[in-house]
Amino acid sequence: MTPVTKAKEAPGANAGAAPVTVEIFQIGSGLADEVKATSGASPMSCYQCAKCSSGCPVANRGDLKPHELVRLVQTNQRGAVLSSRFIWECTSCHTCITRCPQQVDIPAMNDVLRALSLDEGVAVAGTAVPVFNEVFLDSVRTRGRVHELSLMAVFKLRSRRLFADVDKAPAMLAKGKLPLFGSRVGGKSQRKELFRRATKGGGA
Amino acid sequence: MSYTFYPGCSLEGTAKDFHSSSYAVAGKVGLDMPEIEGWICCGSTAAHNSEALLADALPAANLLAARGRTVAVACASCYSRLKMANHHIAGDPAVRAKVAEVVGSDYDGLTPVRHLLEILGEDMRSQVAAAVRRPLSGLKVACYYGCLLSRPPEITHFDDAENPMLMDRLLDTAGATVVDWPHKTECCGASFSITDPSIILDLTDSILAMAQAAGVDCIATACPLCQLNLDMRQKDIAAKRGHRYDLPVFYFTQLLGLAMGCSDSELSLGSLFVDPHPLLRAKGLEAGARLATEVRS
Repeated sequence: MTPVTKAKEAPGANAGAAPVTVEIFQIGSGLADEVKATSGASPMSCYQCAKCSSGCPVANRGDLKPHELVRLVQTNQRGAVLSSRFIWECTSCHTCITRCPQQVDIPAMNDVLRALSLDEGVAVAGTAVPVFNEVFLDSVRTRGRVHELSLMAVFKLRSRRLFADVDKAPAMLAKGKLPLFGSRVGGKSQRKELFRRATKGGGA
Repeated sequence: MSYTFYPGCSLEGTAKDFHSSSYAVAGKVGLDMPEIEGWICCGSTAAHNSEALLADALPAANLLAARGRTVAVACASCYSRLKMANHHIAGDPAVRAKVAEVVGSDYDGLTPVRHLLEILGEDMRSQVAAAVRRPLSGLKVACYYGCLLSRPPEITHFDDAENPMLMDRLLDTAGATVVDWPHKTECCGASFSITDPSIILDLTDSILAMAQAAGVDCIATACPLCQLNLDMRQKDIAAKRGHRYDLPVFYFTQLLGLAMGCSDSELSLGSLFVDPHPLLRAKGLEAGARLATEVRS
């Protein structure tokens, strides 16, 4: 971001000392505008009371807390925001927005930030959420519904997590909770068209 | 009011017990709710994580297929997505126009969406009370609502966002003893069960610990992901952290069905991971085992 004001200390004062450059940036431009335009959320309304962080189920996981994320958006710290682990660990539980005195919609912001993070190729290493989302939506596009057993199998192959939770699928099969064949809904070609139009932003 | 049911994908698989117990209870109270024909997935978290327009279009396609009837929903995630889409479409003509282009027909965002808790607890309260045959006397229950029913309140308009009571009142009507506890609307981690189970272990451990501290015999839920996470992860929590809970985690419809005299298989009680039968036996509440003490109304 280019500074809006750039001032050098007046000559005369502190004569002899190295000149100090002060750069003042306009708070709220850049990422905050982008987030507002695409999500409708208003990050600039946040006054850092941190009520969101006190109720957030993933605030203590060692990455950013929600109020810290909002501050980084306000100050246009694009790299820190888009490569953060927090945007991928948010469970979209909506506790923050329910309690926020300024109605800053952090879950909606995170939806937009996740998409930007993928577009710019800076998503934090180790998150399996993008692969899961892709596999999930692929199932919806082709079958019309999600077949949980295939979803889990394809997700495991694609995310190379073959041995995580290996006991779960057999246990669920034994309880009759994972039918081998899922239902399929007709209208596959119309559905593919719907997906194509929705992901192009509407219209053909 | 005429209802049509939107089951959602989980109710065909991991939550088939929610499906069977919902229809068992519906049968007892005279709730007629045929499935929406040709329903498709609401897109759930994956859609709103990826593309806002898709997240509104998938619910809109289903709400159009409801043809004006009130949509009855069991899954809290579906409920949230359908309500969210209604909110966006009814509130913003630009979104409505875009969704119409994507779906191929105009949808006004006004089809009513009701969760089974609202239908049974508000619309049909007297029918529920009249259908109770075998009160769940002596059963202490923590009602767990999770995130998506009550939040965000401006969109779901579901009971009270911080202290919902709908499920509590229903199970009280069924004769159970419901407790006041602080983790009613904490998050269980939902679909992170697949992508990062460490999140689920942290969150479910804390919810289960609070339920145990409240002195309950079991937990009642109203969401497929809440139920599965709280039930199935107890084994992992015991193995990895040494905390044993052995708390059966029911769908609220299973407990209502028990009180209405439904059979064990109608309620799919055998598909729960923490076996509820020892508890029900100890309390004299097994399905079909209490004819002598049956309350006649």
